[in-house]
Amino acid sequence: MATLAAPACATAPASTQSGLWSWIATTDHKRIGTLYLWTALAFFLIGGLEAALIRTQLARPNMGFVSAETYNQLFTMHGTTMVFLAVMPLSAAFFNYLIPLQIGARDVAFPRLNAFSYWVYLLGGIFITLPILFQVAPDGGWFGYAPLTTNQFSSGPNIDFWVIGLQILGVSSLAAAFNFITTIINLRAPGMTLMRMPMFTWMSFVVQFLLILAFPPITVALVFLLMDRFFGTTFYAIAQGADPLLWQHLFWVFGHPEVYILILPAFGLVSEVLPTFSKKPLFGYNVMVYSGIMIGFLGFGVWAHHMFAVGMGAVADSIFSLMTMLIAIPTGVKIFNWIATMWAGEVRFTVPMKFAIALIAMFTIGGISGVMHSSPPADLQQTDSYFVVAHFHYVLFGGSIMGIFAGIYHYYPKITGRFLNERLGNVHFWLNFIGMNLTFFPMHFSGLLGMPRRIYTYDAGQGWDLFNLLATYGTYLLVIATAVFVWNFVRSRTRGAIAGGDPWGAATLEWSIPSPPPEYNFAQIPTVTSRYPLWDLKDPSWHEGEDSHGDTGTPGPSPLREETETHTAKALGIPMPYPTAKPAFAALGLVVMFSGLLFLRNDLFAVAMTVTLGGAAMLIGGLYAWLTSPLE
Amino acid sequence: MPKLSLRQAASTALTAVALLALSGCGFTEYPNSTFNHHTDFNTAIDALFQRLIFWGTIVFVVVEAGLVYTIIKYRKRPGGPKPRPIHGNAALEITWTVIPALILVLIAIPTVKTIFQTQADAPAGALKVQVIGHQWWWEFRYPELGIVTANELYVPVGRTVEFELTTRDVLHSFWIPQMGGKRDLISNKTNYLWFTPNADLGTSAWNGFCTEYCGSSHANMKFRLYTVQPDEFDSWAKHQASPAVFSTTPAPVTTPVTPVAQVSGADSTAPTPATTIGYVFPRERLETEFPHVIPQTPYPTGLSFDDALLAGGDPARGANEGFMLGGCIGCHAISGVPGAVSEIGPNLTHIASRHTIAGGLFKNDAPTLARWIKNARHMKPGSLMNTIGRGEYDPILKTTNTGGLDDRQIADVVAYLMALK
Amino acid sequence: MASHAIAGHDDGHAHTHHTTTGLDNRKIAIWAFIGSECMLFASLISTYLIYKGKSLVGPYPHTEYTDAAGKVFPAILDIPVTSASTFVLLMSSLAMVLALQAVQLKGTPLPANAGWWTRAQRSSQLWLGMTALLGATFLGFQAYEFTAFVREGLTIKTNLFGSTFFTLTGFHGAHVTVGVLWLMSLLWIDRTRGLGPKDELVVDIAALYWHFVDVVWIVIFTLIYLIQ
Repeated sequence: MATLAAPACATAPASTQSGLWSWIATTDHKRIGTLYLWTALAFFLIGGLEAALIRTQLARPNMGFVSAETYNQLFTMHGTTMVFLAVMPLSAAFFNYLIPLQIGARDVAFPRLNAFSYWVYLLGGIFITLPILFQVAPDGGWFGYAPLTTNQFSSGPNIDFWVIGLQILGVSSLAAAFNFITTIINLRAPGMTLMRMPMFTWMSFVVQFLLILAFPPITVALVFLLMDRFFGTTFYAIAQGADPLLWQHLFWVFGHPEVYILILPAFGLVSEVLPTFSKKPLFGYNVMVYSGIMIGFLGFGVWAHHMFAVGMGAVADSIFSLMTMLIAIPTGVKIFNWIATMWAGEVRFTVPMKFAIALIAMFTIGGISGVMHSSPPADLQQTDSYFVVAHFHYVLFGGSIMGIFAGIYHYYPKITGRFLNERLGNVHFWLNFIGMNLTFFPMHFSGLLGMPRRIYTYDAGQGWDLFNLLATYGTYLLVIATAVFVWNFVRSRTRGAIAGGDPWGAATLEWSIPSPPPEYNFAQIPTVTSRYPLWDLKDPSWHEGEDSHGDTGTPGPSPLREETETHTAKALGIPMPYPTAKPAFAALGLVVMFSGLLFLRNDLFAVAMTVTLGGAAMLIGGLYAWLTSPLE
Repeated sequence: MPKLSLRQAASTALTAVALLALSGCGFTEYPNSTFNHHTDFNTAIDALFQRLIFWGTIVFVVVEAGLVYTIIKYRKRPGGPKPRPIHGNAALEITWTVIPALILVLIAIPTVKTIFQTQADAPAGALKVQVIGHQWWWEFRYPELGIVTANELYVPVGRTVEFELTTRDVLHSFWIPQMGGKRDLISNKTNYLWFTPNADLGTSAWNGFCTEYCGSSHANMKFRLYTVQPDEFDSWAKHQASPAVFSTTPAPVTTPVTPVAQVSGADSTAPTPATTIGYVFPRERLETEFPHVIPQTPYPTGLSFDDALLAGGDPARGANEGFMLGGCIGCHAISGVPGAVSEIGPNLTHIASRHTIAGGLFKNDAPTLARWIKNARHMKPGSLMNTIGRGEYDPILKTTNTGGLDDRQIADVVAYLMALK
Repeated sequence: MASHAIAGHDDGHAHTHHTTTGLDNRKIAIWAFIGSECMLFASLISTYLIYKGKSLVGPYPHTEYTDAAGKVFPAILDIPVTSASTFVLLMSSLAMVLALQAVQLKGTPLPANAGWWTRAQRSSQLWLGMTALLGATFLGFQAYEFTAFVREGLTIKTNLFGSTFFTLTGFHGAHVTVGVLWLMSLLWIDRTRGLGPKDELVVDIAALYWHFVDVVWIVIFTLIYLIQ
């Protein structure tokens, strides 16, 4: 990377404004992306801390480090935090930051709705996280199976925080998804056809559809649970003949697409990193697009493979088994195409590249154990054992987290104008890689050797001691790795080497503008003639020797102009959205409105009504003020 | 970068070796291993799993080797060749779509076969056992034999046993790793699971677990399975089906509720200790051959009991004052004792013949039983059993128990229960 | 170029921004929203169907129920009344179409010999008001239905049927309520500053939502009321 040291390009402030208020009132997709990044990293640390406490309790048999009740809160919140508050919002940080830059737009379609999404996420995240400090955190598992989560079996406020909190977070995800779908469909620069979009934008596009289609079922499942808990309905009331599998079906109709919501953005990120550091176009671009769509599509037909033990019958088991095996094909195709992208390339082992390669290596392991789960008889020995824990951590840590780290190292120079320190980055990578394998690989063994999941303690001599101890050591390595990363992340903001507009020699539009990008993104909206506009510009002969350019690119000199100077939007006469805190205010109203329900637990009906109506008034007032004021 | 390659090559080899080693691994080291052929069910699963591991290993080796080779061969070098701008190759795409598809077909066919084979109706003549999940213990009923017991299963080798799975509260899941796959216990639904322990399987003890998260003490919802020889089973079953061997008939509770402390007993019939006791899995064999089924849970701190009192426990007094008046009868049944018919807690008819209590969390012996009765909720998180000991703090109600039994009365109850062979 | 990228859904002034598809952002977003809403109602309707006939106690939708005390609860659904309310909602969709047409036609000179119908067709206020009124009438029917059911012994807590029925139709009713408020705000804008062809999109989006809510009701009416 030393060779990449760019000329000391100006790191002018991304925005003319600064100060706390400018962040609360921002409508700039880049600043909102940055907010998402910081917030999600904070929640990632909280989720990681929970994991470290869990692993400490499990380090040795019959430990008394935490109580059963605390342990149950910890594993519930670890899952909930990592899925809803860390990995999804980390992806959202990239959606926000990158999608408009990659398609050549000045912002998202609805800048204020975008701010609203962020504030709902932040406040909802705080809402669901705070209770753990008071030992009343949700304790029904991230999957919240009924009837355990109904009043009859969970009469405390714990589950209330979970069911209301997830409802709030769902609003954020849905609002963001409508926004990005519109942005990608409607705000592409001239010439940016769908089949010229960068792969990250493509995978994000698929994810937004998964979000808008998968969140309604869990919303409905949560509404039922909420009404059962607060208003005495009978959706999950066993005594009334309710079927607990209703929850499981609704939950997993959301839950399995959710897995792809978590992994596809990471796939997109490494699909940006691998070509850049192989100096080659992405191999099989079309196939990568179609396989992404295929994964998203099939993702809705495999939910019941989470339920092979519930006794659905041989026919249903067989169908969901075959559907699940089918989904392995487009996923495998992606792996092969990534390897082929590096083949005959010029592979540079930068830190983002290492994380991207690690994703291929580690996700493959998770994919293989996934196929083992797809076979119901084998799955009956594996489900709800530590083998499953190993499997999905290889997918989510080895896949999503590795991909997100690849993305962070890759895009940090674009976001901040400075590189992350490479030495610290290498230390982080290797500790992370070794720590991850040390944590999760032994879980394959403890699982197949009969260790159930979600147990706060176990007896010695069950054949699990060594594997648990190794996993705990691995977790401590991950804690150190993450500390190194945080240090690097914070320190490099002011001390990192200056990065130019295109520090890595990448091919897509976001690298054709200064780093950090000016508030208006592009002084002139670019015209795109191929998938790799910046390569076309910098080395028009780069694809010589191939008969096809991989798309129907327009021949001739690139119309793209690399922008190296940062101005203000005002100087260029570009109208920008006004900063406004109205979306944040409306978001606060939404959260207040929902939290009024909490008072029903103590039969404080008047208080509940007051808070709920007060919150609703704030929400409606905020929305009204927002909708009736001009955008720009 | 070669470091990465070495590591990956090593981990490849390790996976293969480790998995193969595990599949043939020793009993004592890995007493809950899923790799075995102790039943028809596990044999079928293992055949499938071996195939999955075989193909999984091949895919793993091919992909990781390809990856490592690629990044080494095409790493950036001074004077290396210029990267070739290849955009794709249709033939390759088809190849790596079709080959995985073929491998999946090779997995799918035996999968579907095994699904239908293992989920078929149980063969005729199977021993029926009703498994009823409770927070956080297991109730086992043998309807054909008239047996109701808890947390410990006896099954004869060579005969198919069919489990009928239901739950009284939340969802649970029934799993004996050494015997086959798990099956959930679902409210308002009956599930079935069957397997046949091999006829040549020796008399052995196995661990069973709850594998669906079910609340505070999910980790403490365990059970034991004893696979025994047919004659041993018959002996066990005959005895278990008989009423309580300690056939004291306590005073009927028609009289106004007497204070617990009041001493009665003169009017109770003398205990008649059992003359013949049926087969019970020998405790000493557990200790020597099957230590993994012996609970190791330590006593919680802050719970004390004067163990010296246990020697002087009077079973008759325990039956009359303790069991009847101390509240036990509200939840526990003892066959042969009038009025003791409640199904809320475990059936105690032959409790002394069991090796564990409290969902397999503790050894069944007098000191443990005494502490359990004194403050079950301190012994087991979330336990639904009331705190009985006088002056004990109830961690769920968050109050101190002002009534209840003192240590001496508890010792009597323990003496009574330990007489229920 | 300046006008290229930022096309807010919420800026009240005319839309001259260039977009990739040529469609307004809000039009795309409403379609995505409707797609999501389809999944919402699909989940609610599926739940109703899964629990159909599973209630342990009555009242039941299509059959009589006698409780332990011998009290008889007749089949609770009143299909003639709901058919009437369904008709009202269908008519509201027609009125919505006419409202959109009226907005589009505003400013086009009337032919000299225009009859009363041609004149009426030009009144966006008439049709917006009519749509809102018909929607409110539907809600009135629903309020009547709900109170009648509660009087007859079916509440949201009574049984699985009560929970699924009130939740599903309640969700739909909430959607209609939002629609009526939306239409009334359009009517208000029309009265204060007048809606014209430049506002076609605003009315079009409301119309899309309204038709969607209407179509959902047709499905609910068929599956819950008509099919026994």
